Amino acid sequence: MTQRQVQLRLGGGALIVAAFLALFAIPQWVSSPSNVGNIVLSPLFWPYALAGFTGLTGLGLIFSGLQMQGTDEPVNDPIEDTGAAWLRLAAMAVLMGLTMFLLPRLGMVLTSMLVFVASAFLVRTRHPITAIVCAVIVPLVLYAFFAHVAGVAIPQGEFLRLP
Amino acid sequence: MSFLDSIAAGLSLVGNIEAFLALFVGVAIGVVGGAIPGMSATMAVALTLPFTFAMQPITGILLLLGVYKGGIFGGSIPAILIKTPGTPASSATILDGYPMAEKGEAGRALGMALWASCTADVISNLALILFAGWLASFALSFGPPEFFTLILFSLTIIAGVSGESLLRGALSALLGLLLATIGLDLVYGTNRFTFGDPNMMGGLNFIAVLIGLFAIPEILAMVWHPTAHVGKTRSLGKNWVSFADYRRSFKSIVRGSFIGVFLGSIPGIGAAPSAFLSYSEARRTSKNKENFGKGEIEGVAASEAGNNGVAGATLIPLLALGVPGDVITAIIIGAFMIHGLQPGPMMFILNVDIIYGLFIGLIVSSVFLFMIGSVAIRGFKYVADIPKRILIPAVLVLCIYGVFAVNNNIFDVGVMFAMGWVGYLMVRYHIPAAPFLIAFILGPLLEDNFRQSMLMSGSDPTILVRGPITWFFWTLTLLTIVAIARAGVRAVKNNPLLSGRSGP
Repeated sequence: MTQRQVQLRLGGGALIVAAFLALFAIPQWVSSPSNVGNIVLSPLFWPYALAGFTGLTGLGLIFSGLQMQGTDEPVNDPIEDTGAAWLRLAAMAVLMGLTMFLLPRLGMVLTSMLVFVASAFLVRTRHPITAIVCAVIVPLVLYAFFAHVAGVAIPQGEFLRLP
Repeated sequence: MSFLDSIAAGLSLVGNIEAFLALFVGVAIGVVGGAIPGMSATMAVALTLPFTFAMQPITGILLLLGVYKGGIFGGSIPAILIKTPGTPASSATILDGYPMAEKGEAGRALGMALWASCTADVISNLALILFAGWLASFALSFGPPEFFTLILFSLTIIAGVSGESLLRGALSALLGLLLATIGLDLVYGTNRFTFGDPNMMGGLNFIAVLIGLFAIPEILAMVWHPTAHVGKTRSLGKNWVSFADYRRSFKSIVRGSFIGVFLGSIPGIGAAPSAFLSYSEARRTSKNKENFGKGEIEGVAASEAGNNGVAGATLIPLLALGVPGDVITAIIIGAFMIHGLQPGPMMFILNVDIIYGLFIGLIVSSVFLFMIGSVAIRGFKYVADIPKRILIPAVLVLCIYGVFAVNNNIFDVGVMFAMGWVGYLMVRYHIPAAPFLIAFILGPLLEDNFRQSMLMSGSDPTILVRGPITWFFWTLTLLTIVAIARAGVRAVKNNPLLSGRSGP
């Protein structure tokens, strides 16, 4: 991805966001009382104004992107195996989704232990034993602090009840 | 309340072992956090924030300020020893610090970095004490139109100078403002983008947004490229910094400190430009200018002084006006809010004991920084040996606990994950995250002051230019836009191939 591509994609994205907000999201999901006399004081005014400015910024980004000379220099550092990197990112997204699903069921401590181990192996740790030991200790220490020092009601889950 | 009464009130608040211990621990966490390549002072402050919930307000804020101060210095350690800046502001330190390390003088460079940092820190703290109260008393005469123009100016300059281009900064700030509209309307109480979900009615949780934006992208970057962080640590060498070195560099240190104070007190500029400006001024005026870039100790002193001179000064707009100047002060404003405090001019009247307590703590933090920094320089080897691929999963777990602890709400953890992906996309597309976060914080204030102005004037927009203060901020805003746009156009003309990096 070159600088020019970044600028054009951002501009296009900003225009799409602005159009989506103005044509669909704001009319659909922002409610306003019917008796507002002045448009400036309406709850709709600020989101519409921001959507308008986002559209203008998008046009500016596209214009400046078109002004740029073509260069093949990528903006991000290249890596060896892009396919594997995308797979790891997808796995991380799944892990985050699973975390949200498991937190109320397994509780925070057990879920955190699983998250720790999974993410350590996802980043290809060279210390698997240390990772497993830390995966047990770190969530327990954090539980002890937040539950007993900070007084936070940490979710316990259905399988493990900690003091 | 007289000055002495205020100091006595502040002392009564921080004159206990708990407050000083928090400050000491904060500086230690900051130095270690800043010294771990890829951690950064920002992440260290963000991750420490949840631990302050259970503390007294002053103790929690001192802990965070300690992390901030320590983190800024800590970033110079890997910059000198492994040519990897722990914080972006330490990039200038590499220019002479790493060549010194290559010559076997890493210990001398680090010693000078510490002395220059502490000196700049003291000067910056004194500037804060001198100017914050004065600025706050001036700001007491501000009404909604003045605050609206002040916040608009702050957002403009933050958007303009935070990233590689004004337009990307503006896009970032606009997205932050849009995100801030989620929740119940401030005047009518109607729903805005809440989708009928009670979790969204109070708006998105600030801590979840900030941790998602600044900690999770680091984790995702590690997932994308797990071996990007590997570096080789240099030994400290036998030479150590001497008083003669310090005396020779003193002028550059003081000049760098004042540059830091000046740039730090303007919202948005931050430590990195200050460090580079201080470095280039030292090189321009030094007798040894030909040695700069080859391992000149005065270069290390100047860049570190510029870098640390910012730390106290960024608190001037935060405390006096309630406007965070950079990301770290934006996190610190979150700590104030969690404890029910609103920084700004009224705080100098309602919570003068906390203000003076913070001043006292900041002065003491310079002494702690000197003590802990001396030990950290020798102990960096152990910090550098912490496996990053164990640290990152630990950070992820800490994020989950910390964000949940704010409201005891799993929904906030989901918000953090979502914002993490937004932050990662912003990193990939080189959109600065600072304008996004600061706009998210200032968004409700901006809208609120705008609507209050309209209510006051019966919707007459001329109220926004009602007096010299509003004119002053409008002029500054326009000047900022023109200056940044001109700089961008000039950069395009000079080097068309680099236009995307510096263009508007």
